[in-house]
Amino acid sequence: MAKSQSTKTLSASGKEEDGPLLSPALLAQLERMELVSRKIFRGRMKGERRSKRKGQSVEFADFRNYVPGDDLRFIDWNMYARLDKLFLKLFLEEEDLHFYALVDSSLSMTFGSPSKFRYAKQLAGALGYIGLCRADRVKIEALDGSKVNKAPVLRGRTSMWRMVEHLEAMKAGSTATLNEAVRSFCLRNTGKGILVIITDLMDKTGYESALRYLTAQNMDVYLIHVLSQEEIDPEITGDLRLVDCEDSDIAEISVSQRLIDRYRQTLASFIEKARDFASRRGIVYMMTSTERPVDRLVSRYLRQRGLVR
Amino acid sequence: MTALMWTVLALVPPLIFALYFLKLRRQPLEVPSTYLWKKTIEDLHVNSLWQRLRNSLLLLLQLLLALLLILACINPGCEGETLSGDRLIFLIDNSASMSATDVEGSDSRLDDAKKQIGNLIDRMDEGAVGMLISFSDSAVPVQSYTTNHSILKSRLNEIEQTQHSTDINEALVAASGLANPGRTSDRESAVDIQVADALEATIFIYSDGGVREVPAFSFGEKLFAEYHPVGGAEIPDNVGITAFSISDQADSDTQVQAYARIQNSSDEDQSVDLSLYVDDQLLDARAAVTIRKESSIGLQFDLTGVVDNMSGPVPVRLEIENDDVYKQDNSGYAVLNPPRLPNVLVITDYNRYLEMVCNDELGRFDFQPESFIEDDRYLKDAQLGTWDLIIYDRCVPETMPVANTVFIGAIPPVEGWSAEEKRAPTSILDINAGHPVMSAVQMGNVDILDSQPLAGPEGADSLMDSVDGTIIMIAPRGGFQDLVLGFSLIEIDPSGSPVSNTNWPIRLSFPLFFQNVVTELGGSSAFAASRGASPGTLVRLKSKVPYDSVTVTGPDGTNTSLKPGDDSTFMFAQTEQCGIYTVREPGGTVDHLFPVNLFDRRESDLKVRDTLDLGYEEMESSESQMKPVTKDFWPWFVGFALVVLVIEWYIYNKRVFI
Repeated sequence: MAKSQSTKTLSASGKEEDGPLLSPALLAQLERMELVSRKIFRGRMKGERRSKRKGQSVEFADFRNYVPGDDLRFIDWNMYARLDKLFLKLFLEEEDLHFYALVDSSLSMTFGSPSKFRYAKQLAGALGYIGLCRADRVKIEALDGSKVNKAPVLRGRTSMWRMVEHLEAMKAGSTATLNEAVRSFCLRNTGKGILVIITDLMDKTGYESALRYLTAQNMDVYLIHVLSQEEIDPEITGDLRLVDCEDSDIAEISVSQRLIDRYRQTLASFIEKARDFASRRGIVYMMTSTERPVDRLVSRYLRQRGLVR
Repeated sequence: MTALMWTVLALVPPLIFALYFLKLRRQPLEVPSTYLWKKTIEDLHVNSLWQRLRNSLLLLLQLLLALLLILACINPGCEGETLSGDRLIFLIDNSASMSATDVEGSDSRLDDAKKQIGNLIDRMDEGAVGMLISFSDSAVPVQSYTTNHSILKSRLNEIEQTQHSTDINEALVAASGLANPGRTSDRESAVDIQVADALEATIFIYSDGGVREVPAFSFGEKLFAEYHPVGGAEIPDNVGITAFSISDQADSDTQVQAYARIQNSSDEDQSVDLSLYVDDQLLDARAAVTIRKESSIGLQFDLTGVVDNMSGPVPVRLEIENDDVYKQDNSGYAVLNPPRLPNVLVITDYNRYLEMVCNDELGRFDFQPESFIEDDRYLKDAQLGTWDLIIYDRCVPETMPVANTVFIGAIPPVEGWSAEEKRAPTSILDINAGHPVMSAVQMGNVDILDSQPLAGPEGADSLMDSVDGTIIMIAPRGGFQDLVLGFSLIEIDPSGSPVSNTNWPIRLSFPLFFQNVVTELGGSSAFAASRGASPGTLVRLKSKVPYDSVTVTGPDGTNTSLKPGDDSTFMFAQTEQCGIYTVREPGGTVDHLFPVNLFDRRESDLKVRDTLDLGYEEMESSESQMKPVTKDFWPWFVGFALVVLVIEWYIYNKRVFI
């Protein structure tokens, strides 16, 4: 259905849209943090991350008896001098971490003030920057159903500007469903690591299949459910014809207190259902409003959830 | 209405329906997703036609409003009847016989009468005025003229059953007086003002017809009356006690008997069982006493044994054990009060004739010398009313006592009493034999030497006249009576010896006269409250000794405290119920009892009279005159439409529902 010129939008986005994606203050705050994985993954390259694997770092882990074939370089000769027995000195291996941030780029994400899409990009950038600071492997991708790897793989603090440029270049307007976009991502990225998916879950085909794909990847998945304040507490009145921005679907309503109350009940039940679905599959779920500042979200709420420390 | 108008009316609802859907233009609003909204309105289904209609309260209200207005335009109505006449007076009989339960579908005849009058009130014209008067032995204007029919009905329902007899005369007089008050008085200026000319009024009499004869009553030109008999179609079986009394113990030394009269007012012979209770204990019973139709029989019960063992007042009750439609006459009450002797003070220096006639069986006599008049005890007790009778023999007190008095050869110190000079021997001309004091007194053989003709105050009665004038006179003083003998029985001669002034004391008439005096003035008869009273009448009570107050307990247990009047008697008016009333002294001891009975043969006769004899005219039962009317409903529809409009306005502004 073609949108008429008189069609209003639920909320005019644009406020704070022109400012820097990541402010210097936020960046300074993020530098002190690091991403935490609940699972230990084997990285491809040495990173700044301790691994369960014993390896060649400077951090001592344990001793064990020497057995023939062990690398003689790790024998603790001081112990041998004192006890006349060969012991092998074990060190913790330091590895890098794969961090993926998936940003929902459907049209519904453009609503809110600031828009949910910008909020999602800010969040992804903030988390990505933490990863870059800790020499993790960072990849931020828009969920647009693309079959090719457009998103750059970033590592090191110096890649921050490339990341920001990439984020700024991301545009909302994807027509792919959440399911298709996640499936496409999973096919292209088989590695393990931390995955943060930032979405409003407003997909009429459902979000369940998409989340199942992610859990099948054996990744440490975080679902950040972003909703604008207008969706949480709509301030609308009168007889309205609601037009869906994605598929132009129509819903006719006459707003009354009873209807608003019922909408709130539906939203609460929707959130509860998503939280329940995610927690059953080991996905950490978190709902946030665009009104909540990104720095507070990262420093307080995501720290509480254990994503960063 | 023309066909065109009908068509226009019929088109209104579809027009509203169409307009409703045409006017609904919703404002488009783009939202991130209709996903949650769709889920929200899933149950409501606002887009489906039926659901839309269901939730469109405003549309439904508009249709209802239009429908109501169309109905109002159609002007529906129904044929009904209304009472003819603008001024209606309802007389309702609430006497004892109206408590009979022989009317099907109603609790009593009174209940049936109320229903009938209620129906009439419902059919009264809007502007018609109605008045309500209830009557038994007296008439009570329950509601004066009013156009408010609901008040009339509510007052009708407030009318209570009484246990009184029936006298319609007062009600008729009240009704005719209130119907057309020719004049009214202005209290402030004390001037009578002529009000409007007499207007026509209709009186509706609802009664069973058992009323006392009306001596003479005429409705006049402007007053019309209808008589509506109330009661069952058949003559009910009723056997009732129409008299129950106990013989005066004083009359007979040996036997005390209770007499009862049982009446059968039905048209068949009846057989009943009777029980006599003394002090609530069964004393005697008569089984299967047969009374022939429309007649009565007398019964006697011996109570001698009861009197012999009696220590205080005893209630006696006669019961008909068989149930019938009229309960009130199934019980009769009487009391046995212990004989009470009057207290008599005799103040005399010497009078052997008085001493001869004063015996203990007649009363408690206290002989005191003349000097006793100045004694403190006399002064105190005389004002307390300790004595029922004080006899002053040739002496006069300073102030009159609170008691009946007899003055022998002296004049009471009361204004109005005077005596002429003493006259030579006189002869008696006439006596007032009708007065109880002179009852059976023959004075033909009596001679009197010296006498003084008397003049009494207003209201005085002459009891004995001589050739010179009245020589025995009695006069009321407040609640008391003063009897004055214008001659002495004994004179004291200068030598101090007593000399007889008359030969009366040796005649038979003297002790008879003296007994009458003590009985009448000594208060023995005033104590006869035990004779009983009728419901609703005023009863005068006299306690054995003067009390500051007494308490009367009714048959239902209600207590009434009474203060004495000037003559140390108590007036009791709450005698609405039949039964035994108990009079108690302040300490709580029972002083005496008295019964209240209706004993009205007319009330016990439950036959419903078809005609009502009102002196000059005889009224036959009639049907109320009705006139056909069309009752319009359009004001109701318009009123209801206004209510709907208000609700619609409220919903539109408040958006109460979707």
